[in-house]
Amino acid sequence: MTRLLAGHFSVDHSARLMRNYRYAVERAMRALGGWIALTPELSAKLLLGRHVWDLAQHADAFGKRLPELRAHAQVSEPASDRVVAFMDALEEPEAPQQTVERLVGVYRVLKPHLLASYHDHLVRANPVYEPPTRRILVGCIDDERRHIAAGETILGHLCVTPALTERAGAWQRRLEGLLTAAGGVTGDGLPPALPERNDVPVETSDDAREFIRLETPTASWPIPEELRAALGAFGDSLLARDREALARWLAPGVLPDPAREALGAATLTSLRLVAFARLGHQRLVKWRLEGPDASVTILSRWAPGPEGWRVAMLDVARIEAPHPALPRR
Amino acid sequence: MERPIAYDKLAREDRWVRMRAREVAESKIEQALPPFPDLSTQDSIRERVHGILVGEMQAMEGAGRTVCDFPDAGWEFTMDMARQVWDESRHVEIYLRLIEHLGGYPGEFPETTILWRCACAEDAAARVAGVNRGLEGLACDVFNQLVHIAGKLGDPILERAVEFVLADEITHVRMGSKWLTKLTEGDPERRRKAIEFQENIDERFNLGGVRREGDHETVSISIATDVRRMAGFTEEEIERLIKTTQRSQVY
Repeated sequence: MTRLLAGHFSVDHSARLMRNYRYAVERAMRALGGWIALTPELSAKLLLGRHVWDLAQHADAFGKRLPELRAHAQVSEPASDRVVAFMDALEEPEAPQQTVERLVGVYRVLKPHLLASYHDHLVRANPVYEPPTRRILVGCIDDERRHIAAGETILGHLCVTPALTERAGAWQRRLEGLLTAAGGVTGDGLPPALPERNDVPVETSDDAREFIRLETPTASWPIPEELRAALGAFGDSLLARDREALARWLAPGVLPDPAREALGAATLTSLRLVAFARLGHQRLVKWRLEGPDASVTILSRWAPGPEGWRVAMLDVARIEAPHPALPRR
Repeated sequence: MERPIAYDKLAREDRWVRMRAREVAESKIEQALPPFPDLSTQDSIRERVHGILVGEMQAMEGAGRTVCDFPDAGWEFTMDMARQVWDESRHVEIYLRLIEHLGGYPGEFPETTILWRCACAEDAAARVAGVNRGLEGLACDVFNQLVHIAGKLGDPILERAVEFVLADEITHVRMGSKWLTKLTEGDPERRRKAIEFQENIDERFNLGGVRREGDHETVSISIATDVRRMAGFTEEEIERLIKTTQRSQVY
């Protein structure tokens, strides 16, 4: 009977762990919230949007438990400066083309670590006098399993090239190194890794496969036949840099200069239509031209007229290197 | 992490075309079309729903930034804003599915970022006043009308889904009123500036007289007076809004 009363944690130690968890969770929650606007991919946006609230509830639960452990409510505390450095690094990728790094940091490094930490804490927390803590940990474990599975699904969807997979791996190793150096978010050393579980977490409202489906662009643009032919010819002229052919499609007063200047500076070998929008009777058409050194986005507004569809506005929306830079560290 | 971020950092996939709201309105007027989609045809309903989808996306992004940008505003404030992120992310999903339901696609109409710009106010009190009271108040007007029109058209999917979103928006307006009061306690100047910011937004979203008091079928955006009362707007505020719609400049 006395065996059941044996415990690993003092009240003060338990409170410290709550503050340490809360520090990591609160910072992750604020980072996820901030990243939504910086992340172009809809599936990733929705994923982050769903998990901000879950993380807020975890932080809240840890924070509410604190006064029950003779500590101040809703206080976050990093275990050490090294934990701060780890979280700083995790927050670092903010560029639009660094979605993979953002998700890797949270879903392949931080959350698996939190899951293992909560689990390790749960198995060691005394079942007789620590049920309030255990109950919180059980809830967080369930959520983290679900989050990790959803994050992994989105990462699988985003890592479509060997280069991206390599980037993901490099960033994961970098962060894992920092986390190991910190001794985990509690500073007590990394907990044992959890065995793989085969059961699929119950989907509630973050079905990552549905996020991916909703992100999938339309299979075919509803382009009127006559406009389709014009777009084909105009696109060929862009790629070939054929000024005369290009000018044929421009409405009076529209200059080809912005496109010509942008295209003249780079080697571009492919062209694809990436957006097709309606503006009243007119149509907005966006192309992406790509080559080994650069990528150019051309935006045009097409208006119907007596001579057929013509370009009423032409603009270069973006010029960028085709391969985003690796994370700084 | 950079706090707050510049307007132009809002990230999008290639399939979206971004335009200034004024440019969109001017182009429509040049084409002898109403500057803002009414609800008279399936096409215009789809365009309105697409505009709402974009608004929900920016609302999710704006609420996310609020969670990120104001770590010192108090934990309860963070909790309410984090909840709002979750709500808005579900609204994005709902409207993506409604766009499918209506036979459209994301990116079918240009995106304007006027809502996002409002969500970038540097003061937390101004942000909740502008977004939660100004923009979510507008959402109450638009959604209330859409529920009514969907009912009349016999589209229970649109009607039911938007009704649930409207319920969330009412909650967000209440959050806005609560936090406008709490964040500006003992600081009347801060409160005055936040309310002024909200009133500027209200004025802007009157859309040159498009939003007005009136019947759902005769007015492009009808002010949802009952819903606004439920959300906690005072009679005086509702009256003032109605008055401003009668003198709004062209958008």
